Amino acid sequence: MTEPTYRLTGAARPARRRLRRPLLAVVAAGAALGLAACANNGSSTTATTSTKTFGVNATGTVHFWARQATDGPAKALVAEFNKTHKKLKIVLHLTPPNDDTSQLATAIRAGDPPDVVGLNDIDVPTFSHENALLNITKYVNALSYKSALSPGHLALATIGNKYFGVPYLADLSVLWYNKTLFKRAGLNPNDPPANYAQILTDAKKINALGGGIHGFSFAGNCQGCLGFTMLPSLWANSTHLISGPLGTQKANVSGDAPLQTMLAAYRTMWANKLVPLNDQTQNGLTWGADFEAGKVGILPGDYGIAAKFTTPAQKAEFADAPLPGVNGSSYSTFDGGDDFVIPAGASNPSGAWEFIKWALAPAQQVQYPSLGDTPVRTDILTPSFAAKNPYDAVALKALAKGSVEYTLAYDAVFNEPGSPWFKMFEDAVYQGNMKGAISEGQSGIQSTLDSVKS
Amino acid sequence: MAPTVATRPATQPQARRRPRSSAQARRNARTGLLLAAPALLFVAVFALYPLFFGAYISLTNWPLVGPYHFIGFSNYSALIHNSVFVESIIFTLKYTAIVTIPIFVVGYGLAVFVRGNRPGSTVFRTLIFLPYIVGLVTESYMAVVELQPTSGSANWLLSKVGLASSSTAWLVHTGLALTAVSILVIWFYAGFAMMMMLAGMQSIPTELYEAAKVDGAGWWTTEWRVTLPQLRRWIALSLIISVVGSLLAFNQFFIMTDGGPGTSTVTVVMSIYDTAFAQMDVGLASAMSIVLVIVVGLVSFLQFRFLREDGD
Repeated sequence: MTEPTYRLTGAARPARRRLRRPLLAVVAAGAALGLAACANNGSSTTATTSTKTFGVNATGTVHFWARQATDGPAKALVAEFNKTHKKLKIVLHLTPPNDDTSQLATAIRAGDPPDVVGLNDIDVPTFSHENALLNITKYVNALSYKSALSPGHLALATIGNKYFGVPYLADLSVLWYNKTLFKRAGLNPNDPPANYAQILTDAKKINALGGGIHGFSFAGNCQGCLGFTMLPSLWANSTHLISGPLGTQKANVSGDAPLQTMLAAYRTMWANKLVPLNDQTQNGLTWGADFEAGKVGILPGDYGIAAKFTTPAQKAEFADAPLPGVNGSSYSTFDGGDDFVIPAGASNPSGAWEFIKWALAPAQQVQYPSLGDTPVRTDILTPSFAAKNPYDAVALKALAKGSVEYTLAYDAVFNEPGSPWFKMFEDAVYQGNMKGAISEGQSGIQSTLDSVKS
Repeated sequence: MAPTVATRPATQPQARRRPRSSAQARRNARTGLLLAAPALLFVAVFALYPLFFGAYISLTNWPLVGPYHFIGFSNYSALIHNSVFVESIIFTLKYTAIVTIPIFVVGYGLAVFVRGNRPGSTVFRTLIFLPYIVGLVTESYMAVVELQPTSGSANWLLSKVGLASSSTAWLVHTGLALTAVSILVIWFYAGFAMMMMLAGMQSIPTELYEAAKVDGAGWWTTEWRVTLPQLRRWIALSLIISVVGSLLAFNQFFIMTDGGPGTSTVTVVMSIYDTAFAQMDVGLASAMSIVLVIVVGLVSFLQFRFLREDGD
């Protein structure tokens, strides 16, 4: 008699097959959704409505994305606008640091972009060159104050003669100095350094005061801070580290004499202990604290620390000046901050433009200094503005000569870990290897420009 | 008299074990599927789909913004010549090798210390586990402040005992930075390892210890011959979690060294982050991620094989 055989029959085997099918279906559906989401939805990138009706008496809701790093003006503007405009409501969303571009890129890919974005101005070319932003040329040209808008901010939103954004707020770099320490060191407190030779001389005299006082300070482990405060001194000397049209850009490191002069000055200050030892590890978290405590004579830094100088004693002690050119022929500033952009496919571009125009009006622009930022219109600089905001008047005066390196690779070249800019700085200033630093800077920046995708 | 064997009538079918009815089997299968469906869906949507989609992206030149094209395995061949990525793998493996054993040894030692019922054991367990609760991000920021050359407490304390100068710049020299980060991570993870070992130790039957005592085994022999073998699975799990965590290191290096000086402390995940969001090459970053998944999978598989108990 043979043993009966037992095998899976009936429901058991089909059940396993049925278990596989739903899984595969889920994965396939998800893939289809994902790929569909990635498809270019073909949104129009040119606004065609008349300038007379676009951004006039708009209604509905406008979704406004602003960076958390510049949330002061965003919150104040949105609150004020919503109070005074009953038919148009602004809904504010703050994007976390280091996440703003990726969030916007994801929203655009998903076909659900916000209506207006306060985008970091150095990131605007990345989006404008991929047709991700609305062409608002005719509306910008219709602005009566267009010539007063920050040229540096506007340039970043320009391709040829087309505008894909307008300036929103300016976060500028200036040269802070301590008038009290200047007086104590026998220097004229109303004569801030006008070139790097004078910075060195003044820093040595202030450093000689001793007692924990240092002549100069820099954020020596903060790539972005160094670019923010050092690059303007090159632009004031009419040199840029990056030049040429996008896609074929060139690095101009090895031929940049002012750059070598500037790095040599920083090396001298580091080697001669004219800067605090902590500066080598200063990554920006406590940048400027030594200066605010009255322990540093000269600090290239962010205008924004002006918000901390509120008492008459502080205002008498601390002063700012434009960042001088390396060789002193002019001055400049880093046109940091944000541009207003309207993503292609925004659902309420007219409402977005109405909000933008309102934010650019003088009544709103004059509030920026109290919120830690600088207006983006040079015509705001009136005698009464200067009297009320002496620190910001200096920054706003420099705005007309401000600039930024126009490139898709700004973050990769200057800001990111191991950036070729920062490696060059480390080699030149901490190691004293100027020749090697310049050579590596040239090749490193060029290869980064060549490799960053558009 | 010959025994009679009952025989079945010729018409009766041969008796055999009948399977349950097919309807019942179908109901059971459907019930099982329904119960497992939420978990399956979760895994499919949040684990499998991103993995397969990421693999697809790695075969394209997907930028952060803009259209993309299929480019086959070009990203993978580019990785071989990507010196920053290759160096980040080497650095990450070196870092993993440095911290793994100390985390286990310190965790085990702490578990031995707190496993008794002596006064204060509960308080000690809480204090030792506290760093894990507070979190590595917070502690990394704290470490940045305390490791400042002239204002941090680390140099002040170490200079008093002659282990460092009062101006040592920990985070801007590769060796010192790696040392500081490693010490922080060992301190952070040791509490977690302690809790795992402690859980394992508390599940060991006391009869084994009694038998060892009867046999005259000392403390070390008991530990080596009873406790450690019984803890094999817990040790395996602790090591696997520790190694995978080290291979995926990001927060502590991003906060404390930012990958510097230069790119000497860039980990694999930092390299992927930089490629995706600074160089805006999501396709290449996805290829790096797939390579990392394979490496982590392989390391975990080897650990499971090496550390499994006989009979597993």
